[in-house]
Amino acid sequence: MTQEEKAAGKALTRLQRQGGIAIWLAIGLPLISGGLLVWQASSLANVIGRAIEGGEALDALLPTVILVLILLVLRAGISALGDWLGTLASEKIKQNLRDALFSSLLARSPRRQDQPPSGAAVSAVVDQVEALDGFFARYLPASGQAALLPLVFGAIILPLDWVAGLLFLVSAPLIPLFMALVGWGAQAATDRQAQALTRLSGRFADRLRGLLTLKLFGREAAETAGIVSASESLRRRTLKVLAIAFLSSAVLEFFAALGVAGVALYLGLTFIDFLHLRSSPLTLELALFLLLMAPEVYNPLRLLAAHYHDRASAKAALVEIERQLGTLPAETTPLSDIAPRAGKAIALDLTGVTLRTPDRQRVVLADTALKIAAGQHVAILGPSGQGKSTLLEALVGLRTAEGDIMLDGRALEDWPEEDLRARTFLLTQKPRLLHASIAENIALARQGASRAEIELAAERAGITQFAAAMPQGLDTLIGEDGIGLSGGQAQRVALARLFLRDAGLILLDEPTAHLDATLEAEIMSAIIDYAKGRTLVVATHSHAVATQLDKAWRIAGETLLPVAVPAHKKGVA
Amino acid sequence: MTVFAMLAPLFRRRLGALSLALLLSAITLAAGIALLGTSGWFITATALTTLGLGFNLFVPSSLVRAFSFIRILARYGERFVGHNATLRLLSDLRGWLFAALFPRLPLSDRSIRHGDLVSRLTADVDALDVAFLVAIGPMLGALLMGMAVTGVLIVFLPSAAIIYALAVAGAVFVVPAALVISSRKVGREVVTAAADTRISVYDAIGGHADLTILGVLGTAKDRFSALARRLSDWRLTLAALTGAAAMAVQVLAAIALVGTLWTGIVAHEAGTLDPAVFVGLVLAVLGSFEATAVIIRSVGKSAAALAAAERLTALANLPPAIIDPTQPLPFPEGQKIAFSDVHFSYDSGAPVLNGVTLNIAPGERIAISGPSGGGKSTLLRLLLRLNEPQCGDIRIGTTALHDIAAAQVHANMALLSQDSPVFIDTIRNNLRIARPLAEDEAIWAALEAAKLDKFVATLPEGLDTVLGESGRTLSAGQMRRLCLARTLLSDAPIILLDEPTNALDRANELAFFETLAEATRGRTLIMVTHAAIPDGTVDRVLEMRNGRLAG
Repeated sequence: MTQEEKAAGKALTRLQRQGGIAIWLAIGLPLISGGLLVWQASSLANVIGRAIEGGEALDALLPTVILVLILLVLRAGISALGDWLGTLASEKIKQNLRDALFSSLLARSPRRQDQPPSGAAVSAVVDQVEALDGFFARYLPASGQAALLPLVFGAIILPLDWVAGLLFLVSAPLIPLFMALVGWGAQAATDRQAQALTRLSGRFADRLRGLLTLKLFGREAAETAGIVSASESLRRRTLKVLAIAFLSSAVLEFFAALGVAGVALYLGLTFIDFLHLRSSPLTLELALFLLLMAPEVYNPLRLLAAHYHDRASAKAALVEIERQLGTLPAETTPLSDIAPRAGKAIALDLTGVTLRTPDRQRVVLADTALKIAAGQHVAILGPSGQGKSTLLEALVGLRTAEGDIMLDGRALEDWPEEDLRARTFLLTQKPRLLHASIAENIALARQGASRAEIELAAERAGITQFAAAMPQGLDTLIGEDGIGLSGGQAQRVALARLFLRDAGLILLDEPTAHLDATLEAEIMSAIIDYAKGRTLVVATHSHAVATQLDKAWRIAGETLLPVAVPAHKKGVA
Repeated sequence: MTVFAMLAPLFRRRLGALSLALLLSAITLAAGIALLGTSGWFITATALTTLGLGFNLFVPSSLVRAFSFIRILARYGERFVGHNATLRLLSDLRGWLFAALFPRLPLSDRSIRHGDLVSRLTADVDALDVAFLVAIGPMLGALLMGMAVTGVLIVFLPSAAIIYALAVAGAVFVVPAALVISSRKVGREVVTAAADTRISVYDAIGGHADLTILGVLGTAKDRFSALARRLSDWRLTLAALTGAAAMAVQVLAAIALVGTLWTGIVAHEAGTLDPAVFVGLVLAVLGSFEATAVIIRSVGKSAAALAAAERLTALANLPPAIIDPTQPLPFPEGQKIAFSDVHFSYDSGAPVLNGVTLNIAPGERIAISGPSGGGKSTLLRLLLRLNEPQCGDIRIGTTALHDIAAAQVHANMALLSQDSPVFIDTIRNNLRIARPLAEDEAIWAALEAAKLDKFVATLPEGLDTVLGESGRTLSAGQMRRLCLARTLLSDAPIILLDEPTNALDRANELAFFETLAEATRGRTLIMVTHAAIPDGTVDRVLEMRNGRLAG
């Protein structure tokens, strides 16, 4: 067993505690049912024995027959209740874990390099957590029964018939041993399978995103074949796991069949006086009881074997979750919203700042200084991929930078997160829209924004016109990642959030990248109008945009060079 | 087409293996029942015999051993064969779904979202494995066994046969049917809730920076928690229904057992039933309900499987985006492209193209400018036969575009779309999507034309560099240029570029326009852009406004 698996085993135990009383009831109820089973078997043997050997009348047998019926129905009820409680406990545990994983993902710094690919994160939070279900809902109750019931049954049978009792007591504990031997191989195979599943899921997501592109390049056949072959290789891995997992159930089947067959032969031989191992004579009632109990001794173990791979899957899932998302968080990280707050414009002062690309491969800015007075409107020009976005992200603490970044005379790292978020706004280059309505997407910027405020923001961002042509206007549901909107429309929805923010420092990354000149001018004038009395930094490749601002710099050769802009600037507004 | 009609051919392909699994499962059950029945008969017969050692031991003892071993082998074989067949079925299903999806692109249904599609392909397809393995198989197995045991009862204990047959029928048909009906809606809700939960994780990871900046991490977490809780609640409802059904089956088993017991005692006292056969029958009845217990667990899951199958079928039932001609004509080479009075609107909404007439000579390079939303991209989509105009026609030479198979049209045109993706793969493989057998030399030439060759040359792994999700190690501008290189690598004689420079700065934009003529030499070029185009880049610039072209 590797270190990882040991840790995963411990983590499962920790998670188990979150199941509360439900999980203990789910484990305990089947044990009670097991006790009732002994009663049921002995009553059944008793009534048959009395009918055949005792020749008792129907009336005398009726109460016992009814007792058997009652016990059967009672056990059915207990087992249904136990199963449901197992599911309840498991759902509770999964819910807690999902909350904890999700909140810890969000609580991280949003620097892209730290985040797992979204396909892997989704697979971990949704699918891998789901893979824990069997462990809590089925494996744990089954393992409780397997540990206790065969021994209890054996102990009850031993004084009645030592040969049968001994057979059960010796053979039952051997089974888990065989199963463990078989199970070790299964674990490693299960781990590999979980990885393969994640990769398959990632491939699907990736290819689906570009399905239309693949179609246009005539790749239908190749990509369909690719998916089938990826899926087939997953099948081969899965079969390897299953071939071993089934072996352990075959071992059990062997013992169970052997138990029944062995007990039947032993009893038969004793009856015809071939064997003389008992001190007292054997009755049909006792013989029937022993035969009825024979499969039951092995049943809890068979149940465990049926759910044995649930534990392996759960462990593998935990290892996979940790591989994708890092150490399992112990509890949910509290996350609260930060409301925007009004205030004065924020001045920017950079000295000796060195910035690197997210992958740390290349220096974007070396030992650079930049001063932007409060309320000034400036442009940052520069070739694409040269670090305009990196610079803007660094200004609001989304990236690390060497050197001093001062906001309003206070060092960036001294700004509490609440103040920084409440007072600044950044429109990222490829803003992500949520799968919600246009209005809800805009309203994210300010909790409790009124409908009128949302509509005004939509108007300023130039959304109203295209939204009006949509089925439900601003309430039209847009797909995940802005599906249903063009690139420029999605950008404008994200931009509309600005007008609800009341920020002292506004950073916009290519706000007009997808727009034609007329729309660009309209929207820039709305932005400039709104940004009066606020500091505005616009990263752009459009000279037309830069000319409307007070000042402009351009990124060149790892430093910022001032660019002269015509003086008429924002007079247009 | 219904779910079953749609999926039946897939099942038929694996019919042999699935039938073998069913046969093995029936043998397993039969051996188990026979083992218990024979054992019961055997010990009672020996208990009552007066023959002592003269009792014929050989037949019952070898039967007992034989049933044991048959059961062990049949069980292993059944599980292996059954799972293998099911997993093959899943691979077939994935391929089937991809093949079904391609002709339906672009999907017209706005509600089909990316996260939803991913969940359809992975989760829905996986959910279907239970459809055979743990639902239909055990059900047929239990039915066969129920009929066999009923037959035995008719011979030896006819009064019990009717009780038993009714109980088995209830356990195999009535209870599962009731469960399927009652859990259908719940199953659908579970699948929907799982898809919504998935999307909220995609949204949160993809929009992490935006959510942080807006200070709405709390809201994002609450949204996710509410969706995950809804998923949990629906699962619990499903578990309660399944539990109730499982209990019903056990109660039916209890009635069958006690019914056999009681009628057996009555018959025994009347002297019409041999006591050893009586015990054998009771034990056989007890053993036969092993088969029915499994059904419920599987039917519970099959509710989700059915919901998944319905979603897959719905996807495959979407009409194809366009209908290919029954007798397609070849794509005429080196002919002019002619739009004449083309009108088009999406989903009968406002007109996007309003009488476009345009002739492009082979080898001509044209640019179409104009405000966004003016119908420029739509023009390219019509040319690619992704949509069909409602009015007017498009011809290549004298051949109408709709008489040419869509695949032929695509083979002759390469598009750089506005949202062209970079795949998680090497740079080489990303480019080879356009031309699968392209040599490195051609790949480098395409990279050079897209102004990305110098950057790729600095990468330690060069063309073998694996790009992360969304090409994460590339900037937006570099990703754009990679997609451009891919388009240029294609050997299509017609190149369509939709805003090729939208992530480039002006200097790179100018450099790109400078090399464009060289990079597309000998090919027809239609470029949609709102950038200012330097003189000499193209032969003609047209402006599109309100769905009309102006020279």
